[in-house]
Amino acid sequence: MISEPIPTAQPARQMANRFDPYEDNGGTTMALAGEDFCIVAADTRQSDGYHINCRYAPKAHQLSDKTVIGTSGFYADGICLVKRIKQRMEWYYHQHDKVMSTPALAQLLSVMLYQKRFFPYYCFTILGGLDEEGKGCVFDYDSVGNVERVKYQAEGSGKELLQPFLDSQIGLKNRATDDVLDLTEEKAIKIVKDAFSSVTERDIHTGDCVEIYIIRKDGIECEKYPLKRD
Amino acid sequence: MNTAPLKPGEVSLGTTIMAVQFNGGVVVGADSRTTTGSYIANRVTDKLTQVHDHIFCCRSGSAADTQAIADIVHYNLQLLAAQEGEEPTVQKAANLFQQLVYQNKDALSAGIIVGGYDKYNGGSVYSVPLGGSLHKQPFCIGGSGSTYIYGFCDAEYKENMTKEECVDFVKRSVALAMSRDGSSGGVIRLAIIDKNGVERIFVPGNQLPQFFEG
Amino acid sequence: MATKTGFNFDNYQRNLFLEHGKENNMKLPKATKTGTTIVGLMFKDGIVLGADTRATEGPIVADKNCEKIHYIAPNMYCCGAGTAADTEMTTALISSNIELHRLNTGREARVVTAMTMLKQLLFKYQGHIGAALILGGVDCTGPHLYTIYPHGSTDKLPYVTMGSGSLAAMAVFESKYKKDLERQEAIDLVAEAIQAGIFNDMGSGSNVDVCVLTKGKVDYLRNYIKPNVRKEKEQVYKFNLGVTPVIKESIRNLVDVVEVNEMEIDQ
Repeated sequence: MISEPIPTAQPARQMANRFDPYEDNGGTTMALAGEDFCIVAADTRQSDGYHINCRYAPKAHQLSDKTVIGTSGFYADGICLVKRIKQRMEWYYHQHDKVMSTPALAQLLSVMLYQKRFFPYYCFTILGGLDEEGKGCVFDYDSVGNVERVKYQAEGSGKELLQPFLDSQIGLKNRATDDVLDLTEEKAIKIVKDAFSSVTERDIHTGDCVEIYIIRKDGIECEKYPLKRD
Repeated sequence: MNTAPLKPGEVSLGTTIMAVQFNGGVVVGADSRTTTGSYIANRVTDKLTQVHDHIFCCRSGSAADTQAIADIVHYNLQLLAAQEGEEPTVQKAANLFQQLVYQNKDALSAGIIVGGYDKYNGGSVYSVPLGGSLHKQPFCIGGSGSTYIYGFCDAEYKENMTKEECVDFVKRSVALAMSRDGSSGGVIRLAIIDKNGVERIFVPGNQLPQFFEG
Repeated sequence: MATKTGFNFDNYQRNLFLEHGKENNMKLPKATKTGTTIVGLMFKDGIVLGADTRATEGPIVADKNCEKIHYIAPNMYCCGAGTAADTEMTTALISSNIELHRLNTGREARVVTAMTMLKQLLFKYQGHIGAALILGGVDCTGPHLYTIYPHGSTDKLPYVTMGSGSLAAMAVFESKYKKDLERQEAIDLVAEAIQAGIFNDMGSGSNVDVCVLTKGKVDYLRNYIKPNVRKEKEQVYKFNLGVTPVIKESIRNLVDVVEVNEMEIDQ
């Protein structure tokens, strides 16, 4: 029985039609650096809400013989960002008569992201490749250009599930024993495959297929590994 | 007017409904579309609900609200018939609807048309719109699709139509509304109620009356 | 002061105030909503119900093999979509009331009775019980199939779908449904509709559950099809003994063992 009307605030019905140019297309990306190689991997599902827009929409892109980029978040922004990076790389090539190195690209990417500080690219980027010394390197970004060089990293809709697994298996975190990691290329690929098939089990935005780029000093190889499609 | 708007996710009868008197009874008609947002939840809905042997109601608005009201009225009319030993009049039925809609106006979104036959008044039509008022009319149209056919109905309605003329009038009116209103469509369902009882007519979607479709 | 009858919504008003009122910023706990595909189909001599088996909490799969076809009575089953707790509790409550009804009347309950109980319950709660149901059964008047929406509206149709995968499943039904299908044809069509949901709707996934209701007989085919069995992993992840550090060790005796002479007991 209502004796006195309770002071109810209006249920949040503020500005109904605010300009909202962003979308979340899901997807998971990861990269890990080995001693003389690097792996960048991304699933190929592109979705909107509960709907799958495309089962094969690549999120990882080869930028040079030494560098691969992976983006997740808003797919259109990811595509646009990659396109503009490739453009800048071409200008660089013609001006300096050499291909941009991975660390140089990493710095460029940070600047490009920060240039849109107040209208950001809504994407979470990972850059992986070999540095000038031929060592594997991974750079992790937020959407406005904060960059960090890391050994391994997960990004996108499945990162909360994936990162702890990488911390355990590659970072060898939280162990009382003195295990040493002998990360061969074969072992790394196995971990990546298991990581993605496991994330697919529990993250609805990840699935269909994963593209695994293996970057070596004598070139880049791309392996496709099928994932569950439900 | 203080009536409840449709709640999010609620199933609605964006509808075309009508009821028309003729000499000896009434014809009630409706389209068959039920929607949730832009999805058609049911394309062969029966929006003509029998609440007693010779009384029908046409439902528009929230499906849940109108079904609940119709169920309550159906129950009360059966009770009334048993207590009084004779069939309830259409007016009694319409009054029950009006009371329910008016007393719960801030919780309901229901626009109802009541049509039927009784031995005292013959065929009669009542309209109970959103706020819970009650209007006796020779014919009545309702639902979102009705706005498209007010002119047509005013022009075409004639007093003392025969049963056949009346059925034709209802069919053509509802078909016109269905062709213009996105929330109406599917098939046409009709019921002819007179002293002999009820006759149901079903017009499939590919046999609707045809008009200019420029 | 007018006496209000019917269900009391004071607490709902209070929660709105706590959530949106000035200087209030309380988040209410979120209930598990299952993105779901559930379907029902009428065939020559009965009803086939179908469901996927994925339960989600937002974007995370909470249960990969849950049961969404609930028992109502020996001749009636009910598929549930929406808020998991609501579908579970409403079907359990109605199942209980139907059994009491059977005991009172001495007759097998009718499907329409369960449908009416469900719609009146859901209408009373004005959509706050988020249960979207497909009710199927066979009684003395034949086979019946209903959909019941959270606000309490019902439809009676020869083929129905519900949940986030309902559009994908309905596309299959609208293109392939025929009247008076044979039993196996009906099961196949239901399984195909559920799989359309499993693969095209991300809220649905894993396996296909099927329930066939005919006069005097029910076949609950749990995991009728398993189209999503996980491949074997590339590696075995076994941790060496001792990876987890032991920080503290304490052993307590819960029982004190006392030595007693047998002779003393005899006395």
